[in-house]
Amino acid sequence: MEQILVNGAYLGAQYALIALGLTLIFALMNVLNFAHGQMYVLGGFVTYTIYGQLGMPYALALLVTAVSLAVVGAVVERFLFRPVIRRSQRDESTMLLAAGLGFFLDAVILLLFGEKQRGVPKLIDGVFNWDFRVIMPHDRILIGCLAVGCIVLFILFMHFSKTGRALRALAQDRDAAQLMGVDVDRYSMTGFALGAMLAGIVGGLLVTITGVNLGMGGPTSTKAFMMVMIGGAGVIPGAIVGGVILGFMESILLSALASYGDVTYLLIFVSLMIFLAIRPNGLMGKPWG
Amino acid sequence: MLKIENVELYYDHVYALKKVSLHLEEGETVALIGANGAGKSSILRSITGLSKIKHGSISFQGQEIHHRRPADIVKSGIIMVPEGRRVFPYMSVRDNLLMGAFSRTDKAEIRQSLEQVLTRFPILKERYGQSAGTLSGGEQQMMVIGRALMAKPKLLLLDEPSLGIAPKLVADIARAIVQINKEEKVSVLLVEQNSRMALRISHRAYALTTGAVAIHGKSSDLLEDERVQAAYLGGEL
Repeated sequence: MEQILVNGAYLGAQYALIALGLTLIFALMNVLNFAHGQMYVLGGFVTYTIYGQLGMPYALALLVTAVSLAVVGAVVERFLFRPVIRRSQRDESTMLLAAGLGFFLDAVILLLFGEKQRGVPKLIDGVFNWDFRVIMPHDRILIGCLAVGCIVLFILFMHFSKTGRALRALAQDRDAAQLMGVDVDRYSMTGFALGAMLAGIVGGLLVTITGVNLGMGGPTSTKAFMMVMIGGAGVIPGAIVGGVILGFMESILLSALASYGDVTYLLIFVSLMIFLAIRPNGLMGKPWG
Repeated sequence: MLKIENVELYYDHVYALKKVSLHLEEGETVALIGANGAGKSSILRSITGLSKIKHGSISFQGQEIHHRRPADIVKSGIIMVPEGRRVFPYMSVRDNLLMGAFSRTDKAEIRQSLEQVLTRFPILKERYGQSAGTLSGGEQQMMVIGRALMAKPKLLLLDEPSLGIAPKLVADIARAIVQINKEEKVSVLLVEQNSRMALRISHRAYALTTGAVAIHGKSSDLLEDERVQAAYLGGEL
């Protein structure tokens, strides 16, 4: 039982970090970023290249990953989403754009990094063993802690920095934020860069544990959406709660249903549908807190 | 200080403003009165850059501003308190007030402004850490006026500050507007449906009908004007 809970917490922290990026972009721009999972995969490959291939320090690799994904996010906002939002009258246009961007990034990743599963050398060796009740490799513990640390940093940033305050204000009332002097274009770009950066960081974290491959993008996007739907779209605590819930569900159901074959996600999807029928706004559905 | 000349604005080919001209001198409180849809809010939206005008010009302190972006217009010293208050509901009173100072960088002076605002509206001190969404309508109105003052504006645009506020508090808000105009030397452009209140606390006023200025003059004269009484003050106390 303890093992399941620890696995759930570890998984939940990664998931929450992915969901935060997605919900940030949604809250700011009303864009459902279907390419979020691909950004996560791209982040994994950048870390793989710098740490795994070039043999540079992991910390540096993670930093480069964060910066390059932030740049990707900024460019995508500036040259794709901004003009489409400006010209289009319908929300579907940005959804299509995001879906198309997902395919495009898939192709770019295929060209640059190939279709093979890639892994990197272990960060640290050793296994934590508490009386055979909880067994957790040290590198998993490290990555879990890093993920939690990133979540805490993100929350602190959103609450105590001027930029974070402006992002929250923009999400809560676009016109009012503009009237206070917030430059919508600039801060939309900042928010998109930040969201993409979060996705990339998770990719950089998880590549050390599970490796990375081209096919992970789509499923990751889907999972991220589920977390955001569970918690309530556009809400920071909602994304965290949604991530943790999905992490625990996955870890609990995987071990509970082990003998029934691979039905975990079938069950999760069904329960999500029932849940959304009862609470369409998710647990904390409101426009951003 | 503020000069609007022959401004025209339309939303989806429907006129919101037809050749509107008005001006405001430094230190003045000017009221815009008129029925719903007369174009009062459209004038404010044009000044702040939220709506782009089709013809005419708007200048502030001798410089044309109608082609500037909203953020730059705030930097030039114009701030607006929007209709319906528009608080940031899930942010604390403190964060809301700090958002008002967004375009300023002088940290020490921002803190000073914060203290001034909290002294002017002591209720905000009691609500300081609370989410703005949990405040009463009157408290929210004081907070958004305070938020605007945090920008240290030269010109304050107020859109319907008495709308949806308990009658008892309307007098408080009117008093606050007069004090801000006098003590902080902030010029005020006030849009109000409560025409009597607006005319009492302003120096001059413009009455609008269907997107154009119908009557303008000193507020004390307009209060006595038969046409104004018939059209805008009918029956109100």
